[in-house]
Amino acid sequence: MTFCLSGIGSFAKLWKSNPVLLGRGHSYLSLFLTDFCGIRNQQRWFSLKTVSPQNTKATDLQIAKARYLRKDEGSNKQVSSDSSHLFLAGAAKKRSQMNPQSKDHALPPVKNTIELPTKPLNSKEWDKLKEDFKGKVNFESWISSQMAQCHSSVDVAKSLLAWVAAKNNGIVGYDLLVKYLHLCVFHKQTSEVIDVYEIMKARYKSLEPEANTLLIRGLIHSDRWREALLLLEDIKKVMTPSRKNYSDCIQGALLHQDVNIAWNLYQELLAHDLIPMLETLKAFFDFGKDIEDDHYSKKLLDILLYLRNNHLYPGESFAHSIKTWFESGQCSGCGKTIESIHLSPEEYEFLKGKIMRDVIDGGDQYKKTTPWELKRFKNFVKSCPPFDIVIDGLNVAKMFPKARESQVLLELVSQLAKQNLRLLVLGRKHMLKKSPRWRKDEMEMVREQASCFFADNISEDDPFLLYATLHSGNHCKFVTKDLMRDHKACLSDSKTQHLFFKWQQGHQLAIRNKFPGSGITFQHILSHDTVVQTTGDSWHIPYDEDLVERYSYEVPTKWLCLHRKT
Amino acid sequence: MSISVTFLRPFARFLVPFTLHRKSRNLYSTILQRNMSSKIPSLSYPNKESTSPPEQLELDGWKTTMKSSVREDVSTVSSNKDEDPLAATRELIEMWRLLGREVPEHITEDELKTVMECASKSSKKKYLKYLYIKEKVKKARQIKKEAKAAAREEFKKSKLLETTEEDKQQNFLFLRLWDRNMDIAMGWKGAQAMQFGQPLVFDMAYETHMTPKELQNTISQLLESEGSNRRNVDPFHIYFCNLKTDSAYHRELIKRYGEKWDKLLLTATEKSHVDLFPKDSIIYLTADSPNVMTTFKHDKIYVVGSFVDKHMQPGISLAKAKRLKLATECLPLDKYLQWDVGSKNLTLDQMIRILLCLKNTGNWEEALKFVPRRKHTGYLEVSQYSQEFINRMKKAKTFNSLSKGSLNGRTQKRWLE
Repeated sequence: MTFCLSGIGSFAKLWKSNPVLLGRGHSYLSLFLTDFCGIRNQQRWFSLKTVSPQNTKATDLQIAKARYLRKDEGSNKQVSSDSSHLFLAGAAKKRSQMNPQSKDHALPPVKNTIELPTKPLNSKEWDKLKEDFKGKVNFESWISSQMAQCHSSVDVAKSLLAWVAAKNNGIVGYDLLVKYLHLCVFHKQTSEVIDVYEIMKARYKSLEPEANTLLIRGLIHSDRWREALLLLEDIKKVMTPSRKNYSDCIQGALLHQDVNIAWNLYQELLAHDLIPMLETLKAFFDFGKDIEDDHYSKKLLDILLYLRNNHLYPGESFAHSIKTWFESGQCSGCGKTIESIHLSPEEYEFLKGKIMRDVIDGGDQYKKTTPWELKRFKNFVKSCPPFDIVIDGLNVAKMFPKARESQVLLELVSQLAKQNLRLLVLGRKHMLKKSPRWRKDEMEMVREQASCFFADNISEDDPFLLYATLHSGNHCKFVTKDLMRDHKACLSDSKTQHLFFKWQQGHQLAIRNKFPGSGITFQHILSHDTVVQTTGDSWHIPYDEDLVERYSYEVPTKWLCLHRKT
Repeated sequence: MSISVTFLRPFARFLVPFTLHRKSRNLYSTILQRNMSSKIPSLSYPNKESTSPPEQLELDGWKTTMKSSVREDVSTVSSNKDEDPLAATRELIEMWRLLGREVPEHITEDELKTVMECASKSSKKKYLKYLYIKEKVKKARQIKKEAKAAAREEFKKSKLLETTEEDKQQNFLFLRLWDRNMDIAMGWKGAQAMQFGQPLVFDMAYETHMTPKELQNTISQLLESEGSNRRNVDPFHIYFCNLKTDSAYHRELIKRYGEKWDKLLLTATEKSHVDLFPKDSIIYLTADSPNVMTTFKHDKIYVVGSFVDKHMQPGISLAKAKRLKLATECLPLDKYLQWDVGSKNLTLDQMIRILLCLKNTGNWEEALKFVPRRKHTGYLEVSQYSQEFINRMKKAKTFNSLSKGSLNGRTQKRWLE
């Protein structure tokens, strides 16, 4: 029996995997410790701890040690190696790879195989190339976009433009100019960018956002970076600039030590309801290394809080930047309890109301159920004492296609009933009708061991599941393999969706077995919330590894643990 | 002059790589080139090609001409007021057009305002693409029309030359008044249907669930449905129920039908179908229904929701039927067709054609010809379907009897492994 209801014991797996950067970080620390810690300690909130002998193993991006350990360590190890948790980063990717149906998409066939020139051509050669080219589109624009795609050298592109200009009284079309600009920006040829900028200014009264974006990106490295801000203003006239535009401008400002402009732009970005790129935030942290300013530090901490509130997770290099800024890296191995996955009472009530209103009711009670059924259900739930486990009967029963539905359900119910848990089985009325897949006697036994509620055949049962679980209170869990994404999508705003997700992580029991009959085991429940968090003197920051693909409904497994010097 | 340039360039390229690293090398050479080219502003290109054809092209010369030549006036409109966002948007569209984006060439003030009201960049692009396609179609049609007119002229001319003298009397039974006669005949049939026809209801209670575009599509489909009903041998008596006066449906219908709206041989009413007909004879057709339609019943009243759902909000029409406690049915698409892609929701005109066909022949294969071919890969053999069904039943039965019988223990064991 590996079923573990109390929800502890999930730490072990989470925090166990070894950090990639441990070795490197350690040497880094030992190198720099002697020189810098003394100088900087005073101004910083968080400062270096000296490496004491018993702490040497826990230096860098260390994953905190599990405080609670599972009772049966052996089976736990097996678990973490073979099956991945429903909500942990990379699990969905793994699942999709296990599915043999998904095949790689064949690459589209390459049309028009003209070899792109690798060195500047003269006009004769261009003429010849044009003759060779057969295609519907304009040769000049086709070849220039090909060059932009393959990042040809600037000189080749320039020779193309010179050839076009020579044919055309010295005039080069706007689209060619933009593609040339793209190449210049890509190859970081600042002087060329400025030249093109001059030409564009001279020829066109206003530009469109694409060219402006390129110019901004090109100009921020030059002395004329302030003109990038003017271009940003130009974009604003017709539409909201993209977060990339802001990111470029902010990086330009930081590059030229103008912190105020950078923060103002950042505020503006947030005011537009854009989510800043992690790159932008990273730039602030990177810049923060070199300045000693409480005000600036406070703002950086605000960024961390922003990450927290919006459930964003930094990437690996960003996590590095944060760490470098803190210059702590001294993981506590702290044994501090990470924030619990459980919602606060107010959040809980709020979520319950929202689920009732948006998911079950949804503006039209007839859509997912009927008013009389809803009433019947509410009376039923009220009449029962709170449940410990709510089971999605159909989801569970359909788990093993080869076994009989009612038998699987009965197995689960009796297994849980043996632990003296109060059960609720939700299902549909057709389960009660005698059929080969649903045997009457087994359903009778289910009804003896658990309370049951059967909805109409055309009603949805998931909303009832959610409500019954929420109604029973914080201790109540539910059993289903459904990820509930459609119900999450019914919720109106992202804040509620995050609440729902957090609650789901803490209360969903997913069955892990691949075969029936061997005693049903569940995936462990995460007991802590994966979010950027602080206790005042310590920060715990989950981050994404570069090589792991994380889906939106999964959470990172790696943590950055920062601790204030005592 | 040009010689010095071509001479210097290789020199710079040759020498510098060994001393400077890449970036500064490029910088160096470009600065060099710029200086050179600014010293020789008056290079005339045709001459140059003729004088030194095998030489390398002069790379930076175009910049000077580009800079010096007059500003290309992209928009002559309202260049005096720079602040005007309308003008700015117009310029933006013009620049996008230069870039080869899918934007219309001409745009009216109203459309421009709509563009500006679009909330996001992607919605702007979407709307502009819509305008672009509209413009393109219009232009193509115009060209076709002109070509046709020209051909007709040509034909007339040749005819005039040939058949001036050959103007003899011919005997005809009818005057050529086909179209009008057809119309009148259809009118008669329609009037008969109004008296004795089987009702078919279009439920117009979905206005709040649709965007303006979806609503327009709905109206187009309604027009099409009405047209195919009119042409049928035995038309339905069409009801537009829940059609509120001055609702968007109503306004759009009047706009599309014009004068004809008051002379249509159908019943448009503000009342609901449950008020007009007995509840137990109404069948609400919806793809979400759990019940499959097996036969077309001539004594029932079928209700079709006039609702185009592009945003995939399932269960709305089923909820409506549930609320009024009506019977629901869906077409037996899975039973007869090997479904491939696309939603099972059919358009209104496809629906009415299928119903008309069923009414006249009762043949499902014939009726389901109106399901778009792209959505299914072919007809299922009915016997195949039933065979499958029987197999399933059989399997279930043996399963059942096995587990009940003496083998019970063994089979269970097998599952448990």
